[in-house]
Amino acid sequence: MTEKITPVREKILSNIRIQRFTPGKDRSPYFDNFKMEVETGMTILEVLRHIKNTQDSSLTFRAFCRSSICGSCALRVNNKTVLACSTQLMPILKDFGKATVTITPMANLPIIRDLVVDIDPVIEKLAKMHPYLVENKDRVPETLEKESLMSQEELEAFGLMTDCILCGSCYSACSAVKADSNYAGPLTIAKAYRFSVDPRDDFRGMRFQAAMDQGLWSCVQCRKCIKVCPKDTRPADSIRDMRRISIDAGIHDSPGSRRAKAYTDDVERIGQVNKPMLPVIVHGTKGWAAIEAAEAGLKKHGMEPTRQVCSLPGQSGAAKIYAKVREIEGKKKGGKTNG
Amino acid sequence: MLTYDVLIVGSGGAGLYAALKSRMEEDLRVAVLTKVYPTRSHTSAAQGGVNAALANKDPTDTWEQHWFDTVKGSDYLADQDAAELLCREAPEVIREMEHWGCPFDRTTEGKIAQRPFGGASKPRACHAADKIGHVMLHTLYEQGLRHGVDYFNEWLTISLLHDGKRCQGVNALDTRTGKLHTIQAKAVILATGGYGRIYWNRTSNAYGNTGDGLAIAYRAGLPLKDMEFVQFHPTGLRRTGILMSEGARGEGGFLLNGLGERFMTRYAPEKMELGPRDLVSRAIETEVRQGRGGPEGEVFLDLTHLGKEKIAERLPQIRQLCIDFEGVDPIEEPIPIKPTAHYSMGGIHTDINGLTSIEGVYAAGESGCVSVHGANRLGGNSLLDILVFGRRAGNHALEYARSVELPSMPKDILASAETRIKSLMEGESEEKLADIRRDMANIMANKAGIYRNAADLTEAVEDLVELKARYKRLKVKDKCKVFNTELVAALELENMLDLAEVVAKGALERTESRGAHSREDFPERDDKSWLVHTVATRGSDERPVLHFDPVTITRFQPEARTY
Repeated sequence: MTEKITPVREKILSNIRIQRFTPGKDRSPYFDNFKMEVETGMTILEVLRHIKNTQDSSLTFRAFCRSSICGSCALRVNNKTVLACSTQLMPILKDFGKATVTITPMANLPIIRDLVVDIDPVIEKLAKMHPYLVENKDRVPETLEKESLMSQEELEAFGLMTDCILCGSCYSACSAVKADSNYAGPLTIAKAYRFSVDPRDDFRGMRFQAAMDQGLWSCVQCRKCIKVCPKDTRPADSIRDMRRISIDAGIHDSPGSRRAKAYTDDVERIGQVNKPMLPVIVHGTKGWAAIEAAEAGLKKHGMEPTRQVCSLPGQSGAAKIYAKVREIEGKKKGGKTNG
Repeated sequence: MLTYDVLIVGSGGAGLYAALKSRMEEDLRVAVLTKVYPTRSHTSAAQGGVNAALANKDPTDTWEQHWFDTVKGSDYLADQDAAELLCREAPEVIREMEHWGCPFDRTTEGKIAQRPFGGASKPRACHAADKIGHVMLHTLYEQGLRHGVDYFNEWLTISLLHDGKRCQGVNALDTRTGKLHTIQAKAVILATGGYGRIYWNRTSNAYGNTGDGLAIAYRAGLPLKDMEFVQFHPTGLRRTGILMSEGARGEGGFLLNGLGERFMTRYAPEKMELGPRDLVSRAIETEVRQGRGGPEGEVFLDLTHLGKEKIAERLPQIRQLCIDFEGVDPIEEPIPIKPTAHYSMGGIHTDINGLTSIEGVYAAGESGCVSVHGANRLGGNSLLDILVFGRRAGNHALEYARSVELPSMPKDILASAETRIKSLMEGESEEKLADIRRDMANIMANKAGIYRNAADLTEAVEDLVELKARYKRLKVKDKCKVFNTELVAALELENMLDLAEVVAKGALERTESRGAHSREDFPERDDKSWLVHTVATRGSDERPVLHFDPVTITRFQPEARTY
């Protein structure tokens, strides 16, 4: 009846290439190669620990829970940001078809030593976002006799973002942070959004201001953060939604929100974006220089510039879509206030 | 010298709750010192729920029933006055968490949702999908930011300072710079979590659950209580000890030994795989000891017969865990598992306010022992413990710190810490950190683990003395001061060796079986001789000295613990 269990456990002799760097000691980062036998089931973290325990005790990395909930061990494997603890090495070796793997620290953050980066910049930016609930007295009871009432649907509006473990993977992968280190980064805005749509909260205005100050409109929606997030929190979606609710709240006076509004209004009105006038709509009077330069260029090539594009034939179809969206959103809002 | 009114060591749920409570009115200077970042703490790993008799799901639930369940679950070793506070204050702390924004799941009426849990007579575990610990920890951290709690991240506490009567503060290592600091404080709350890592790779605990707070308290002359009680979970993944929840067995998973036999027929022919945790753990251990384990001393949790569809639909997270952490897809092959050390019932001896025998020194959470869990903790009570007693300690420390001046500090207070670091950092040795740690884990797992007996435990105690002697010769090979994780690991190992010895000694002395403590040579509970707490202090020869304190019984007389 019974059959002896013999698990299949493969082994591959591999070369683990790890970036090393100790500020103050090394001039610049360099790579060390470690040879070891990698077997089925080994995570990147186990590999690092094996090297530290048996080959080089000075190899420096962070790790704590080793079950992908604490967010300590984010780093890059073959240039992709991952959690070391929940990443199996064997499939990577097979995918890349070679026995070498390269491990480097997260990007966009200063290195403290080897694979350990300084995540304080992220925490400091987060702290400026008012990342905490400030009680809405209409919803949160005064005393501890009762809990606030909240529907599961209200909870699910921000539930995804409560999965964030502050590992910094999204920050490491972010194109906008790479371009401008002052930008707050995906997780911080997503966190600000999480509290701003919690019906128990009463502080969203302050968070709009904080998010605007730290680059709410800098995100280019490249969605790399969505790809690397180990908890699937979809930060870029939250950033998009944060922009939307800030416009809904009447904050139209930033280049980003003006651009977004021009796009949506134009498409409804004429079926396409009136690009020739965009610089002035987005940047105000400063935009004229760009328009005049563009017009001069067109004239030089014998073309006549226009400041008003024509209405496209599909415009009526677009207008119908807008009407439908308003109808659905109206229903949603109605439903919410009744519930 | 850095100065605070209240200093909290450890940033899990107990530490952050205590910090928030003592900082709430923003009149005192409060800091949390943590060897990680606050949101990394092991509280985040708690998945299932936190108990409180809110009666949202079952209107007949009361805190008194919760109280009884807790005392019974503890195998009557819990102090009943402490367990009473735990259950009576539970609804209040849960609501406070809720008011601070904790995203609990909701009932259709919009109240906090509750689910049934093992050992509980009513559904009273409040949940947030499978991440209740994570959302609680983040909520507390967020509110701490709001109210101006200071955080010292990636600092390791080296020693607790007191003058024999009152608290003075701590010495701690800033791991980024490698510098030692004294932090003067009127009150210190130790909340550093459990010591499951004394079993090293055979634990579900985080790498850092090395019992630091207990060890520094012990070395500072404070007593530890009921240390021999360590709860084992039967199904941890072979490589990492990560838990496979009971859900997998609940859905019809089989436990198979290396020969492919469904061995639970021998131990619990009726309940089979769904027997109580301790019984299943012991059954697995017996199979492996008698040579019927897999190639690496594992057994197997087999789900393959459930079929692809059922596994993908009912157990998607469990499947993902197996793929990510073990490289095994349970649809295709059995999951290799081992019992894994899960929770430390023992801790620093405190009163119901978390206060120790030194004025101004407190302990809370898994590092403290009030005691509410006695010989065995109920599921959903660990998160409750950190909230209730973190809060109590914070409140008490707040009042105390308001009433006293800063303590006076001797001049050379940093000297002993400096000597300790120096002795590890200077020179070379043959001993390897990882070897000593592995040997400790083997001693603990084989001789002071799931099964215990006098011969093994006597050996374990002797082996540990030898291991401590080896540790004294250990040198850290990495001489760099910046972020020296080898040095941190060496300091943690010293902490664990001290605690392992207390666990083994307590287990040897306690000649009965109660809750998680299971003696092959004394299989029965013995209320006549052993309805007492084990209290250990460090003797002049650096070995543990034990005495025994009575258990507080206020309402429930001990009965047989059957389910």
